[in-house]
Amino acid sequence: MAAAKKYKLSKLERDERRLGFVLLAPAAALLTAVVVYPIAELLANSLYSFRLTRPGYRFIGLENFTFALFEDDRFLQSVLNTAILIGVTVPGALVIGLGLALLANQPFKVKWPVRLGLLLPWALPLVFAGLIFRWFFDYRQGFVNWLIELAGFAPPQWLSDPHLAFVALCIAIVWKSSSFMALILLAGLQTIPKSLYEAAEVDGASRFQQFVEITLPMLKPAIVVALIFRTITAIQTFDIPYAMTNGGPGSATETMAMYIHKTTIDFLDIGYGSALATLMFLISIAATSVYLRHTKRDGGRN
Amino acid sequence: MSEIVLKNVVKAYGTTPVIHGVDLHIASGEFCVFVGPSGCGKSTLLRMIAGLEGISDGEISIGGTLVNDLPPRERDIAMVFQDYALYPHKTVFENMAFGLRLRKRPSAEIESRVREAAQILQIDHLLERRPGQLSGGQRQRVAMGRAIVRNPKAFLFDEPLSNLDAQLRSEMRVEINKLHKRLRNTVVYVTHDQVEAMTLADKIVVLSAGRIVQVGTPDEIYNRPAAKFVAGFTGSPPMNFLPCSIDADGAAILLDGGIRLPVPQARRAVCSKLAGRRLDFGIRPEHILAEAVGSDVATVPAHVQLVEPLGSDTLGLLRIGTGEITGRFAPEAPLSAGATIQAGFAMNKFHLFAPDTGDAIRDPGW
Repeated sequence: MAAAKKYKLSKLERDERRLGFVLLAPAAALLTAVVVYPIAELLANSLYSFRLTRPGYRFIGLENFTFALFEDDRFLQSVLNTAILIGVTVPGALVIGLGLALLANQPFKVKWPVRLGLLLPWALPLVFAGLIFRWFFDYRQGFVNWLIELAGFAPPQWLSDPHLAFVALCIAIVWKSSSFMALILLAGLQTIPKSLYEAAEVDGASRFQQFVEITLPMLKPAIVVALIFRTITAIQTFDIPYAMTNGGPGSATETMAMYIHKTTIDFLDIGYGSALATLMFLISIAATSVYLRHTKRDGGRN
Repeated sequence: MSEIVLKNVVKAYGTTPVIHGVDLHIASGEFCVFVGPSGCGKSTLLRMIAGLEGISDGEISIGGTLVNDLPPRERDIAMVFQDYALYPHKTVFENMAFGLRLRKRPSAEIESRVREAAQILQIDHLLERRPGQLSGGQRQRVAMGRAIVRNPKAFLFDEPLSNLDAQLRSEMRVEINKLHKRLRNTVVYVTHDQVEAMTLADKIVVLSAGRIVQVGTPDEIYNRPAAKFVAGFTGSPPMNFLPCSIDADGAAILLDGGIRLPVPQARRAVCSKLAGRRLDFGIRPEHILAEAVGSDVATVPAHVQLVEPLGSDTLGLLRIGTGEITGRFAPEAPLSAGATIQAGFAMNKFHLFAPDTGDAIRDPGW
């Protein structure tokens, strides 16, 4: 094969390229200041012994990391707690979100009450949702215990029993996050052409068969995106447990983000907190890369 | 037997009727084309036969079974959609096999029927592909394959060729025609393209504003249009219309601008009954001749406004009296814009329409 002749850029193209760099510069500078610099600072701090309660700023290599991974039971507990919350609330929100999306996709004459009902939990601030559910599950005044008593049972201590606190948290998180799932899935549902259902109907598919043979496979890309988005945000779960249990009883419901927050803000251990945050960052990156690989493969196929 | 019978079929949305009592008999094995402009209700009527739209009143039966309240899957019909509606996540094979699989046919039978249909449609090399990997024409074939594997009582086509480019459209038209000659199933085919209607149909149903205007063979629709609407819808270019009146003894048609067209002996009896009435005179472009030769040809001075050579023929826009008409001429006809020619009207081919109702004034002998 003959070597292809390499053409130089014309003056017009060179000027355009230069203009491009100039126009990009402000955004690049801003990103450096608010994203690159803090992350670099975090990574640097994680290698130091740096406590505001004690003087000194001493390089200790990976000691913070080895302590966290091999000796700090409270951190490992928080990782496990986070994993349980992800394992329960992500699939839970998917199932409920799918149900809500299917409901919202029905041809209602008046669409806005359904849409509003979907949007409301999503639009509510997380801490606010946490507070609502804290009152919901309150031992004395809570709505849940009021119902249980009405049914003639002894009211349980929702938020001070380690297992029940988890149940309450999961319910609150599923309630809060399934509307997000539903919104993504609803967008996915609306891209499925109506004629596919008509073709399936003529082909002989029942409503259930249409759901299995058309809706689910056509919705798969949206489901994957929703799952990955939700998983990435669930790794950082903080607000709802903070407002409902504050990690209690003890540290039974403490998540990674809460433990990092306590380490850094309450115990003022900047170095160790940075190391923990770095670990959480790595976990998030791992989850994100799964997402990126998925979208890349998708792009290649189409 | 798989005849389709419609009795006084009505479709209304609320109190607004869109199909006003249609009666139609489609014989078993017949290729029936619904044709009409956008919004005339042809697709709605097809979807009512399919069961995708409810019926407000009347009866539809397919193969002797009243299907008013049967869902599409129990009507034993297959449909080809305008956008093909192929299942994008399934392979071509799975797309075609879907209906059989839902009907729990043994897999050996599914395999052989899909392969047979694929062979007929020349898509057997595409069976493992997905619809996204196919061209428009191939998708169209898969959509037809999905319909024919089930061997249903009737095929319903909803503007199946309108998403294809002109060349592919005429190719697929021939394919559909061959397929019907081979399978001899009952077909209901919706189109707004009169060429498809003329070439494919055993029976054409012309619809306008939710009513049937005329039912007939392509020959009847073209040569004996029941209404001005039908005449103006068929042919390319369509029929020319000029306001006219008829002289006292029915011997001549008088066009505006003082033009007198002698009526042939055979048509005078009918014309004499219409003497004095204002009518619309209709004549097809091919019945206008560049030279006045032969009997029953009326000669009219015509001013050539525009000449459109199409290669095989030449269209000429002519001013006659106060009106304009289009003629279709042989390419060698001596036409040039600005010239005045002696145009011939083939007076044994003209049509007359009542201007108020648009109904054709017909005589069995014409």
